[in-house]
Amino acid sequence: MSFLINIWRIIVSAWKHFVRNLWLALSTVFVLVLAMLSVNVLLGVNVLLNRAAQELEGKIDVSVYFLPNTPPAVLDQAKFLMTSLSQVQSAELVGAEAVLENFKREHAAEPEVLGSLSELEQNPFGATLIIKAKNTADYPFLLQALDNPQFNFAIESKNYDDHAETIRRVREISRSVQVFGLILISVFALFSILIVYNTIRVAIYTQREEIGIMRLVGASNSFVRMPFVLEGIFLALFAIFIAGGIVFSAIVYLEPYLANFLDGADPGLLKFFMANWPRLASVECGVLAGLVALSSWAAVGKYLKK
Amino acid sequence: MITLEKVSKIYPPNVQGLREVNLKIDHGEFVSIVGQSGAGKTTLAKLLIAEERPSRGRIDIGGWDITRIPGRDVPFLRRQIGVVFQDFKLLPKKTVYENVAFALEVASMSGRRIHEIVPQVLKIVGLDEKAHRFPNQISGGEQQRVVIARALVHRPKILLADEPTGNLDTLNAREIIDLLLKINSFGTTIVLVTHNREVVNALRRRVITLDGGMVVSDQAEGKYLLPA
Repeated sequence: MSFLINIWRIIVSAWKHFVRNLWLALSTVFVLVLAMLSVNVLLGVNVLLNRAAQELEGKIDVSVYFLPNTPPAVLDQAKFLMTSLSQVQSAELVGAEAVLENFKREHAAEPEVLGSLSELEQNPFGATLIIKAKNTADYPFLLQALDNPQFNFAIESKNYDDHAETIRRVREISRSVQVFGLILISVFALFSILIVYNTIRVAIYTQREEIGIMRLVGASNSFVRMPFVLEGIFLALFAIFIAGGIVFSAIVYLEPYLANFLDGADPGLLKFFMANWPRLASVECGVLAGLVALSSWAAVGKYLKK
Repeated sequence: MITLEKVSKIYPPNVQGLREVNLKIDHGEFVSIVGQSGAGKTTLAKLLIAEERPSRGRIDIGGWDITRIPGRDVPFLRRQIGVVFQDFKLLPKKTVYENVAFALEVASMSGRRIHEIVPQVLKIVGLDEKAHRFPNQISGGEQQRVVIARALVHRPKILLADEPTGNLDTLNAREIIDLLLKINSFGTTIVLVTHNREVVNALRRRVITLDGGMVVSDQAEGKYLLPA
Protein backbone atom coordinates (compact mmCIF):
# COMPACT_ATOMS: atom_id res chain seq x y z
CA MET A 1 0.00 0.00 0.00
CA SER A 2 2.76 2.44 1.00
CA PHE A 3 4.53 1.51 -2.26
CA LEU A 4 1.48 2.58 -4.26
CA ILE A 5 1.14 5.76 -2.19
CA ASN A 6 4.80 6.53 -2.94
CA ILE A 7 4.36 5.85 -6.65
CA TRP A 8 1.33 8.13 -6.77
CA ARG A 9 3.12 10.93 -4.87
CA ILE A 10 6.17 10.59 -7.13
CA ILE A 11 3.97 10.87 -10.25
CA VAL A 12 2.16 13.91 -8.86
CA SER A 13 5.45 15.50 -7.86
CA ALA A 14 6.98 14.83 -11.31
CA TRP A 15 3.96 16.36 -13.01
CA LYS A 16 4.21 19.45 -10.78
CA HIS A 17 7.91 19.84 -11.68
CA PHE A 18 6.97 19.58 -15.34
CA VAL A 19 4.22 22.21 -15.11
CA ARG A 20 6.23 24.60 -12.91
CA ASN A 21 9.07 24.61 -15.45
CA LEU A 22 6.78 24.57 -18.46
CA TRP A 23 8.79 26.86 -20.75
CA LEU A 24 12.01 25.09 -20.00
CA ALA A 25 10.21 21.79 -20.52
CA LEU A 26 8.78 22.94 -23.85
CA SER A 27 12.16 24.02 -25.17
CA THR A 28 13.59 20.64 -24.16
CA VAL A 29 10.68 18.86 -25.81
CA PHE A 30 11.40 20.90 -28.96
CA VAL A 31 15.00 19.65 -29.10
CA LEU A 32 13.89 16.09 -28.42
CA VAL A 33 11.30 16.41 -31.20
CA LEU A 34 14.07 17.53 -33.58
CA ALA A 35 16.12 14.50 -32.56
CA MET A 36 13.17 12.17 -33.15
CA LEU A 37 12.38 13.83 -36.49
CA SER A 38 15.96 13.33 -37.62
CA VAL A 39 15.67 9.62 -36.85
CA ASN A 40 12.35 9.29 -38.65
CA VAL A 41 13.40 11.38 -41.66
CA LEU A 42 16.40 9.12 -41.99
CA LEU A 43 14.16 6.07 -41.87
CA GLY A 44 11.84 7.62 -44.47
CA VAL A 45 14.71 8.51 -46.81
CA ASN A 46 15.98 4.94 -46.54
CA VAL A 47 12.56 3.56 -47.41
CA LEU A 48 12.35 5.91 -50.41
CA LEU A 49 15.83 5.04 -51.67
CA ASN A 50 15.13 1.32 -51.36
CA ARG A 51 11.85 1.80 -53.19
CA ALA A 52 13.61 3.79 -55.96
CA ALA A 53 16.23 1.05 -56.30
CA GLN A 54 13.50 -1.61 -56.48
CA GLU A 55 11.70 0.39 -59.18
CA LEU A 56 14.87 0.70 -61.19
CA GLU A 57 15.68 -2.97 -60.76
CA GLY A 58 12.25 -3.81 -62.11
CA LYS A 59 13.07 -1.91 -65.30
CA ILE A 60 16.30 -3.68 -66.13
CA ASP A 61 16.23 -6.30 -68.89
CA VAL A 62 18.30 -7.64 -71.76
CA SER A 63 16.76 -7.46 -75.21
CA VAL A 64 18.25 -9.93 -77.70
CA TYR A 65 17.52 -9.00 -81.33
CA PHE A 66 17.62 -11.93 -83.70
CA LEU A 67 18.29 -11.72 -87.42
CA PRO A 68 15.23 -11.65 -89.67
CA ASN A 69 14.06 -15.08 -90.78
CA THR A 70 15.74 -16.85 -87.87
CA PRO A 71 14.15 -20.32 -87.75
CA PRO A 72 11.56 -20.68 -84.94
CA ALA A 73 13.45 -23.73 -83.65
CA VAL A 74 16.51 -21.60 -82.93
CA LEU A 75 14.37 -18.97 -81.22
CA ASP A 76 12.62 -21.60 -79.10
CA GLN A 77 15.93 -23.18 -78.22
CA ALA A 78 17.31 -19.78 -77.09
CA LYS A 79 14.20 -19.10 -75.00
CA PHE A 80 14.25 -22.60 -73.50
CA LEU A 81 17.90 -22.33 -72.59
CA MET A 82 17.52 -18.96 -70.94
CA THR A 83 14.35 -19.96 -69.05
CA SER A 84 16.11 -23.00 -67.68
CA LEU A 85 18.75 -20.84 -65.98
CA SER A 86 18.07 -20.34 -62.27
CA GLN A 87 19.17 -16.68 -62.50
CA VAL A 88 16.42 -15.84 -65.00
CA GLN A 89 13.12 -14.51 -63.72
CA SER A 90 11.40 -14.37 -67.11
CA ALA A 91 12.20 -14.71 -70.81
CA GLU A 92 9.60 -13.38 -73.26
CA LEU A 93 9.85 -14.03 -76.95
CA VAL A 94 8.34 -11.30 -79.16
CA GLY A 95 7.78 -12.52 -82.72
CA ALA A 96 9.02 -10.60 -85.79
CA GLU A 97 5.49 -9.51 -86.70
CA ALA A 98 4.83 -8.15 -83.22
CA VAL A 99 8.16 -6.28 -83.34
CA LEU A 100 7.11 -4.72 -86.67
CA GLU A 101 3.74 -3.69 -85.23
CA ASN A 102 5.42 -2.17 -82.20
CA PHE A 103 7.80 -0.24 -84.44
CA LYS A 104 4.91 1.11 -86.51
CA ARG A 105 3.03 2.13 -83.41
CA GLU A 106 6.04 3.93 -81.94
CA HIS A 107 6.68 5.82 -85.19
CA ALA A 108 3.06 6.49 -86.12
CA ALA A 109 3.76 10.21 -86.17
CA GLU A 110 6.74 9.90 -88.51
CA PRO A 111 5.45 9.37 -92.07
CA GLU A 112 8.98 9.33 -93.58
CA VAL A 113 9.99 6.40 -91.41
CA LEU A 114 6.76 4.52 -92.14
CA GLY A 115 7.13 5.35 -95.90
CA SER A 116 10.65 3.91 -95.98
CA LEU A 117 9.38 0.81 -94.17
CA SER A 118 6.61 0.25 -96.72
CA GLU A 119 9.13 0.31 -99.55
CA LEU A 120 10.78 -2.79 -98.14
CA GLU A 121 9.43 -6.04 -99.52
CA GLN A 122 9.70 -8.00 -96.33
CA ASN A 123 9.73 -7.51 -92.56
CA PRO A 124 13.21 -6.10 -91.74
CA PHE A 125 12.90 -7.09 -88.08
CA GLY A 126 13.69 -10.34 -86.45
CA ALA A 127 12.23 -11.70 -83.23
CA THR A 128 13.28 -10.25 -79.89
CA LEU A 129 13.92 -12.17 -76.69
CA ILE A 130 13.42 -10.02 -73.54
CA ILE A 131 15.13 -11.51 -70.49
CA LYS A 132 14.74 -10.35 -66.91
CA ALA A 133 17.11 -11.61 -64.22
CA LYS A 134 16.14 -12.31 -60.63
CA ASN A 135 19.10 -10.28 -59.43
CA THR A 136 20.78 -7.31 -61.10
CA ALA A 137 24.17 -8.80 -60.35
CA ASP A 138 23.34 -11.75 -62.67
CA TYR A 139 23.11 -9.74 -65.90
CA PRO A 140 26.81 -10.11 -66.79
CA PHE A 141 26.39 -13.88 -66.47
CA LEU A 142 23.26 -13.87 -68.66
CA LEU A 143 25.04 -11.85 -71.33
CA GLN A 144 27.78 -14.49 -71.31
CA ALA A 145 25.22 -17.28 -71.47
CA LEU A 146 23.77 -15.73 -74.63
CA ASP A 147 27.11 -16.28 -76.33
CA ASN A 148 26.05 -19.86 -76.97
CA PRO A 149 27.16 -21.46 -80.30
CA GLN A 150 23.70 -23.06 -80.66
CA PHE A 151 22.11 -19.66 -81.40
CA ASN A 152 24.68 -16.87 -81.17
CA PHE A 153 25.05 -16.90 -84.95
CA ALA A 154 21.41 -15.76 -85.24
CA ILE A 155 21.79 -12.81 -82.83
CA GLU A 156 21.98 -9.48 -84.57
CA SER A 157 22.52 -7.39 -81.44
CA LYS A 158 21.93 -7.29 -77.72
CA ASN A 159 20.59 -4.26 -75.91
CA TYR A 160 21.32 -4.35 -72.23
CA ASP A 161 19.16 -1.59 -70.84
CA ASP A 162 21.76 -0.74 -68.27
CA HIS A 163 20.32 0.81 -65.11
CA ALA A 164 23.00 -0.99 -63.14
CA GLU A 165 25.09 2.15 -62.73
CA THR A 166 22.04 4.12 -61.54
CA ILE A 167 21.13 1.35 -59.11
CA ARG A 168 24.69 1.23 -57.83
CA ARG A 169 24.57 4.97 -57.23
CA VAL A 170 21.18 4.78 -55.51
CA ARG A 171 22.54 2.00 -53.26
CA GLU A 172 25.63 4.07 -52.59
CA ILE A 173 23.52 7.10 -51.66
CA SER A 174 21.42 4.85 -49.42
CA ARG A 175 24.56 3.62 -47.63
CA SER A 176 25.89 7.18 -47.33
CA VAL A 177 22.54 8.31 -45.95
CA GLN A 178 22.71 5.51 -43.38
CA VAL A 179 26.22 6.48 -42.28
CA PHE A 180 25.43 10.18 -42.28
CA GLY A 181 22.15 9.44 -40.51
CA LEU A 182 23.88 7.43 -37.79
CA ILE A 183 26.28 10.31 -37.20
CA LEU A 184 23.34 12.74 -37.16
CA ILE A 185 21.40 10.55 -34.74
CA SER A 186 24.45 10.21 -32.47
CA VAL A 187 24.94 13.98 -32.45
CA PHE A 188 21.24 14.55 -31.70
CA ALA A 189 21.31 11.86 -29.01
CA LEU A 190 24.30 13.55 -27.39
CA PHE A 191 22.63 16.97 -27.61
CA SER A 192 19.41 15.52 -26.22
CA ILE A 193 21.21 13.98 -23.26
CA LEU A 194 23.07 17.21 -22.51
CA ILE A 195 19.96 19.35 -22.90
CA VAL A 196 17.82 17.07 -20.74
CA TYR A 197 20.64 16.93 -18.20
CA ASN A 198 20.69 20.72 -18.18
CA THR A 199 16.90 20.99 -17.98
CA ILE A 200 16.80 18.70 -14.99
CA ARG A 201 19.71 20.57 -13.39
CA VAL A 202 17.80 23.82 -13.77
CA ALA A 203 14.63 22.17 -12.45
CA ILE A 204 16.62 20.89 -9.49
CA TYR A 205 18.19 24.29 -8.95
CA THR A 206 14.78 25.94 -8.78
CA GLN A 207 13.71 23.30 -6.29
CA ARG A 208 16.95 22.92 -4.34
CA GLU A 209 15.30 24.32 -1.23
CA GLU A 210 12.52 21.77 -1.45
CA ILE A 211 15.05 18.99 -2.01
CA GLY A 212 17.03 20.13 1.03
CA ILE A 213 13.88 20.11 3.15
CA MET A 214 12.86 16.72 1.79
CA ARG A 215 16.26 15.36 2.83
CA LEU A 216 15.98 17.07 6.20
CA VAL A 217 12.63 15.52 7.04
CA GLY A 218 13.77 12.05 6.02
CA ALA A 219 12.88 11.55 2.37
CA SER A 220 14.68 8.59 0.84
CA ASN A 221 17.02 9.10 -2.12
CA SER A 222 14.58 7.43 -4.49
CA PHE A 223 11.71 9.63 -3.27
CA VAL A 224 13.79 12.71 -4.10
CA ARG A 225 15.24 11.34 -7.32
CA MET A 226 12.32 9.59 -8.98
CA PRO A 227 10.17 12.69 -9.66
CA PHE A 228 13.05 14.18 -11.67
CA VAL A 229 13.65 10.94 -13.56
CA LEU A 230 9.93 10.72 -14.25
CA GLU A 231 9.89 14.35 -15.37
CA GLY A 232 12.56 13.41 -17.92
CA ILE A 233 10.38 10.53 -19.10
CA PHE A 234 7.40 12.92 -19.42
CA LEU A 235 9.58 15.11 -21.65
CA ALA A 236 10.48 12.08 -23.78
CA LEU A 237 6.86 10.93 -24.10
CA PHE A 238 5.71 14.40 -25.14
CA ALA A 239 8.49 14.56 -27.71
CA ILE A 240 7.59 11.12 -29.12
CA PHE A 241 3.91 12.06 -29.32
CA ILE A 242 4.59 15.35 -31.12
CA ALA A 243 7.22 13.86 -33.43
CA GLY A 244 4.84 11.00 -34.28
CA GLY A 245 2.10 13.48 -35.21
CA ILE A 246 4.46 15.53 -37.39
CA VAL A 247 5.87 12.45 -39.15
CA PHE A 248 2.41 11.02 -39.87
CA SER A 249 1.04 14.36 -41.16
CA ALA A 250 4.13 14.95 -43.29
CA ILE A 251 3.90 11.50 -44.88
CA VAL A 252 0.20 11.88 -45.70
CA TYR A 253 0.88 15.30 -47.21
CA LEU A 254 4.08 14.48 -49.09
CA GLU A 255 3.42 10.98 -50.42
CA PRO A 256 1.46 12.07 -53.54
CA TYR A 257 4.33 14.43 -54.47
CA LEU A 258 6.94 11.75 -53.83
CA ALA A 259 5.04 9.36 -56.11
CA ASN A 260 5.85 11.70 -59.04
CA PHE A 261 9.55 11.02 -58.51
CA LEU A 262 8.91 7.30 -58.82
CA ASP A 263 6.94 7.46 -62.08
CA GLY A 264 3.67 7.27 -60.17
CA ALA A 265 4.70 4.20 -58.18
CA ASP A 266 3.68 4.05 -54.51
CA PRO A 267 6.62 5.42 -52.43
CA GLY A 268 5.57 3.00 -49.67
CA LEU A 269 6.28 5.43 -46.83
CA LEU A 270 2.82 5.34 -45.31
CA LYS A 271 2.71 1.56 -45.69
CA PHE A 272 6.10 1.24 -44.03
CA PHE A 273 5.22 3.46 -41.07
CA MET A 274 1.74 1.98 -40.64
CA ALA A 275 3.14 -1.56 -40.71
CA ASN A 276 6.02 -0.79 -38.36
CA TRP A 277 4.70 1.91 -36.05
CA PRO A 278 4.27 -0.27 -32.93
CA ARG A 279 7.86 -1.49 -33.23
CA LEU A 280 9.23 1.94 -34.17
CA ALA A 281 7.28 3.71 -31.42
CA SER A 282 8.34 1.23 -28.75
CA VAL A 283 12.01 1.22 -29.79
CA GLU A 284 12.23 5.01 -30.20
CA CYS A 285 10.25 5.59 -27.02
CA GLY A 286 12.32 3.05 -25.08
CA VAL A 287 15.66 4.41 -26.24
CA LEU A 288 14.73 8.07 -25.76
CA ALA A 289 13.06 7.52 -22.39
CA GLY A 290 16.03 5.40 -21.29
CA LEU A 291 18.58 8.05 -22.30
CA VAL A 292 16.54 10.83 -20.75
CA ALA A 293 15.94 8.90 -17.52
CA LEU A 294 19.66 8.13 -17.28
CA SER A 295 20.49 11.79 -17.85
CA SER A 296 18.01 12.89 -15.17
CA TRP A 297 19.33 10.23 -12.79
CA ALA A 298 22.85 11.59 -13.18
CA ALA A 299 21.71 15.23 -12.89
CA VAL A 300 20.01 14.73 -9.53
CA GLY A 301 22.81 12.54 -8.12
CA LYS A 302 24.89 15.51 -6.98
CA TYR A 303 22.14 16.66 -4.63
CA LEU A 304 21.83 13.30 -2.92
CA LYS A 305 25.35 12.97 -1.63
CA LYS A 306 24.79 14.74 1.68
CA MET B 1 20.31 8.12 24.31
CA ILE B 2 23.12 10.09 22.62
CA THR B 3 26.76 9.13 23.12
CA LEU B 4 29.82 10.72 21.56
CA GLU B 5 33.17 9.04 22.21
CA LYS B 6 36.33 10.97 21.33
CA VAL B 7 34.64 12.54 18.34
CA SER B 8 36.78 14.78 16.17
CA LYS B 9 35.89 16.50 12.95
CA ILE B 10 38.53 17.94 10.67
CA TYR B 11 37.56 19.93 7.58
CA PRO B 12 40.03 20.07 4.72
CA PRO B 13 42.71 21.20 4.60
CA ASN B 14 43.18 21.14 8.37
CA VAL B 15 40.40 23.04 10.11
CA GLN B 16 39.47 21.47 13.41
CA GLY B 17 35.65 21.51 13.84
CA LEU B 18 35.56 19.29 16.94
CA ARG B 19 38.38 17.85 19.07
CA GLU B 20 38.03 14.63 21.03
CA VAL B 21 34.51 15.40 22.23
CA ASN B 22 33.04 13.01 24.81
CA LEU B 23 29.36 13.47 25.57
CA LYS B 24 26.45 11.54 26.96
CA ILE B 25 22.87 12.78 26.85
CA ASP B 26 20.20 10.69 28.53
CA HIS B 27 16.64 10.06 27.46
CA GLY B 28 14.30 12.93 28.38
CA GLU B 29 17.05 15.47 29.06
CA PHE B 30 16.92 19.11 27.99
CA VAL B 31 20.46 20.05 27.07
CA SER B 32 21.72 23.41 25.85
CA ILE B 33 24.90 23.39 23.81
CA VAL B 34 26.43 26.84 23.89
CA GLY B 35 29.50 28.51 22.52
CA GLN B 36 30.64 31.38 20.40
CA SER B 37 30.72 31.34 16.62
CA GLY B 38 33.17 28.71 15.39
CA ALA B 39 33.07 26.81 18.69
CA GLY B 40 31.78 23.68 16.94
CA LYS B 41 28.07 23.84 17.85
CA THR B 42 26.77 23.54 14.31
CA THR B 43 29.34 20.85 13.46
CA LEU B 44 28.03 18.86 16.42
CA ALA B 45 24.43 19.34 15.22
CA LYS B 46 25.37 18.23 11.69
CA LEU B 47 27.09 15.11 13.05
CA LEU B 48 23.97 14.18 15.01
CA ILE B 49 21.78 14.20 11.87
CA ALA B 50 24.52 12.59 9.74
CA GLU B 51 24.86 15.60 7.50
CA GLU B 52 28.56 15.25 8.27
CA ARG B 53 30.59 12.19 9.26
CA PRO B 54 33.15 12.37 12.10
CA SER B 55 36.83 12.17 11.18
CA ARG B 56 37.49 10.13 14.31
CA GLY B 57 35.53 8.74 17.21
CA ARG B 58 32.13 7.12 17.57
CA ILE B 59 28.55 8.46 17.67
CA ASP B 60 25.71 6.37 19.02
CA ILE B 61 22.05 7.42 19.02
CA GLY B 62 19.56 5.23 20.87
CA GLY B 63 21.87 2.22 20.48
CA TRP B 64 22.41 2.88 16.78
CA ASP B 65 26.03 3.47 15.80
CA ILE B 66 25.76 6.22 13.20
CA THR B 67 29.50 6.90 12.92
CA ARG B 68 29.69 5.48 9.39
CA ILE B 69 25.98 5.33 8.65
CA PRO B 70 25.34 4.41 4.97
CA GLY B 71 23.55 7.02 2.87
CA ARG B 72 20.49 4.81 2.41
CA ASP B 73 19.93 4.72 6.20
CA VAL B 74 20.17 8.49 6.72
CA PRO B 75 16.47 9.12 5.94
CA PHE B 76 15.49 6.65 8.69
CA LEU B 77 17.78 8.40 11.17
CA ARG B 78 16.27 11.78 10.26
CA ARG B 79 12.77 10.47 10.86
CA GLN B 80 13.86 9.71 14.43
CA ILE B 81 15.46 13.08 15.10
CA GLY B 82 13.30 16.16 14.70
CA VAL B 83 15.33 19.11 13.47
CA VAL B 84 14.60 22.82 13.91
CA PHE B 85 16.79 25.44 12.26
CA GLN B 86 17.21 29.17 12.72
CA ASP B 87 16.20 29.88 9.10
CA PHE B 88 12.95 27.86 9.39
CA LYS B 89 13.32 26.01 6.06
CA LEU B 90 9.63 26.13 5.24
CA LEU B 91 8.27 25.71 1.71
CA PRO B 92 6.78 29.10 0.79
CA LYS B 93 4.26 27.68 -1.71
CA LYS B 94 2.78 25.25 0.81
CA THR B 95 0.39 26.13 3.61
CA VAL B 96 1.17 25.53 7.28
CA TYR B 97 -0.79 22.27 7.09
CA GLU B 98 0.96 21.16 3.87
CA ASN B 99 4.41 21.97 5.25
CA VAL B 100 3.80 19.71 8.22
CA ALA B 101 2.08 17.01 6.14
CA PHE B 102 5.03 17.03 3.73
CA ALA B 103 7.27 15.39 6.37
CA LEU B 104 4.82 12.49 6.59
CA GLU B 105 4.30 12.22 2.86
CA VAL B 106 8.00 11.59 2.27
CA ALA B 107 7.78 8.79 4.82
CA SER B 108 5.04 7.06 2.77
CA MET B 109 2.29 7.67 5.34
CA SER B 110 -1.27 7.31 4.07
CA GLY B 111 -3.40 10.39 3.49
CA ARG B 112 -5.86 9.26 6.16
CA ARG B 113 -3.15 9.03 8.84
CA ILE B 114 -1.74 12.39 7.76
CA HIS B 115 -5.20 13.96 8.21
CA GLU B 116 -5.30 12.51 11.74
CA ILE B 117 -1.80 13.44 12.89
CA VAL B 118 -1.22 16.92 11.43
CA PRO B 119 -4.14 18.70 13.18
CA GLN B 120 -3.07 17.13 16.51
CA VAL B 121 0.48 18.39 16.15
CA LEU B 122 -0.66 21.83 14.99
CA LYS B 123 -2.81 21.99 18.12
CA ILE B 124 0.22 21.24 20.31
CA VAL B 125 2.14 24.16 18.77
CA GLY B 126 -0.95 26.39 18.85
CA LEU B 127 -1.39 26.80 15.11
CA ASP B 128 -4.55 24.80 14.49
CA GLU B 129 -6.37 28.03 13.64
CA LYS B 130 -3.79 29.03 11.04
CA ALA B 131 -3.39 25.69 9.29
CA HIS B 132 -4.34 27.04 5.88
CA ARG B 133 -2.17 30.13 5.90
CA PHE B 134 1.04 30.38 3.93
CA PRO B 135 4.38 31.03 5.71
CA ASN B 136 4.47 34.65 4.57
CA GLN B 137 1.07 35.20 6.20
CA ILE B 138 2.27 34.34 9.73
CA SER B 139 4.87 35.81 12.12
CA GLY B 140 8.47 34.60 12.54
CA GLY B 141 7.60 32.95 15.85
CA GLU B 142 4.67 31.17 14.24
CA GLN B 143 6.87 30.03 11.36
CA GLN B 144 9.29 28.54 13.86
CA ARG B 145 6.36 26.77 15.54
CA VAL B 146 5.43 25.28 12.17
CA VAL B 147 8.98 23.97 11.90
CA ILE B 148 8.68 22.46 15.38
CA ALA B 149 5.36 20.90 14.40
CA ARG B 150 6.99 19.43 11.29
CA ALA B 151 9.81 18.07 13.44
CA LEU B 152 7.32 16.50 15.82
CA VAL B 153 5.07 14.66 13.36
CA HIS B 154 7.37 11.64 13.26
CA ARG B 155 7.11 11.50 17.09
CA PRO B 156 10.90 11.70 17.37
CA LYS B 157 12.72 10.68 20.53
CA ILE B 158 15.14 13.55 20.03
CA LEU B 159 14.46 17.12 18.95
CA LEU B 160 17.53 19.01 17.78
CA ALA B 161 17.03 22.76 17.70
CA ASP B 162 19.90 24.70 16.10
CA GLU B 163 19.57 28.39 17.06
CA PRO B 164 15.76 28.23 16.94
CA THR B 165 15.42 31.71 18.45
CA GLY B 166 18.14 33.33 16.33
CA ASN B 167 15.68 35.16 14.08
CA LEU B 168 13.07 35.95 16.73
CA ASP B 169 12.39 38.82 19.11
CA THR B 170 12.46 38.23 22.86
CA LEU B 171 8.75 37.52 23.18
CA ASN B 172 8.66 35.02 20.32
CA ALA B 173 11.92 33.48 21.52
CA ARG B 174 10.35 32.95 24.95
CA GLU B 175 7.30 31.27 23.37
CA ILE B 176 9.50 28.90 21.37
CA ILE B 177 11.52 27.94 24.46
CA ASP B 178 8.28 27.35 26.39
CA LEU B 179 7.10 25.13 23.56
CA LEU B 180 10.36 23.15 23.65
CA LEU B 181 9.94 22.73 27.41
CA LYS B 182 6.39 21.49 26.87
CA ILE B 183 7.63 18.97 24.29
CA ASN B 184 10.38 17.91 26.70
CA SER B 185 7.76 17.32 29.38
CA PHE B 186 6.20 14.69 27.07
CA GLY B 187 9.51 12.77 27.26
CA THR B 188 11.27 13.99 24.13
CA THR B 189 15.00 14.67 24.54
CA ILE B 190 15.78 18.24 23.54
CA VAL B 191 19.19 19.33 22.29
CA LEU B 192 19.19 23.11 22.04
CA VAL B 193 22.13 24.65 20.22
CA THR B 194 22.27 28.37 20.99
CA HIS B 195 24.36 31.37 21.89
CA ASN B 196 21.42 33.21 23.47
CA ARG B 197 22.57 33.99 27.01
CA GLU B 198 19.13 34.97 28.37
CA VAL B 199 17.49 31.83 27.09
CA VAL B 200 20.15 29.54 28.55
CA ASN B 201 20.25 31.27 31.91
CA ALA B 202 16.46 31.27 32.22
CA LEU B 203 16.20 27.56 31.49
CA ARG B 204 18.36 26.35 34.37
CA ARG B 205 18.91 23.01 32.67
CA ARG B 206 22.06 21.17 31.68
CA VAL B 207 24.49 23.36 29.72
CA ILE B 208 27.43 22.04 27.68
CA THR B 209 29.88 24.74 26.65
CA LEU B 210 32.04 24.33 23.58
CA ASP B 211 35.10 26.36 22.78
CA GLY B 212 37.56 25.76 19.98
CA GLY B 213 35.83 22.46 19.16
CA MET B 214 36.25 21.10 22.72
CA VAL B 215 33.85 20.66 25.64
CA VAL B 216 35.09 23.14 28.22
CA SER B 217 32.20 22.86 30.65
CA ASP B 218 29.27 20.53 31.33
CA GLN B 219 26.98 21.59 34.19
CA ALA B 220 23.71 20.04 35.31
CA GLU B 221 21.97 23.34 36.03
CA GLY B 222 24.36 25.50 34.15
CA LYS B 223 24.63 29.05 33.03
CA TYR B 224 26.01 30.71 29.95
CA LEU B 225 29.64 31.13 31.02
CA LEU B 226 31.27 32.64 27.99
CA PRO B 227 31.87 36.38 27.66
CA ALA B 228 29.37 38.29 25.53
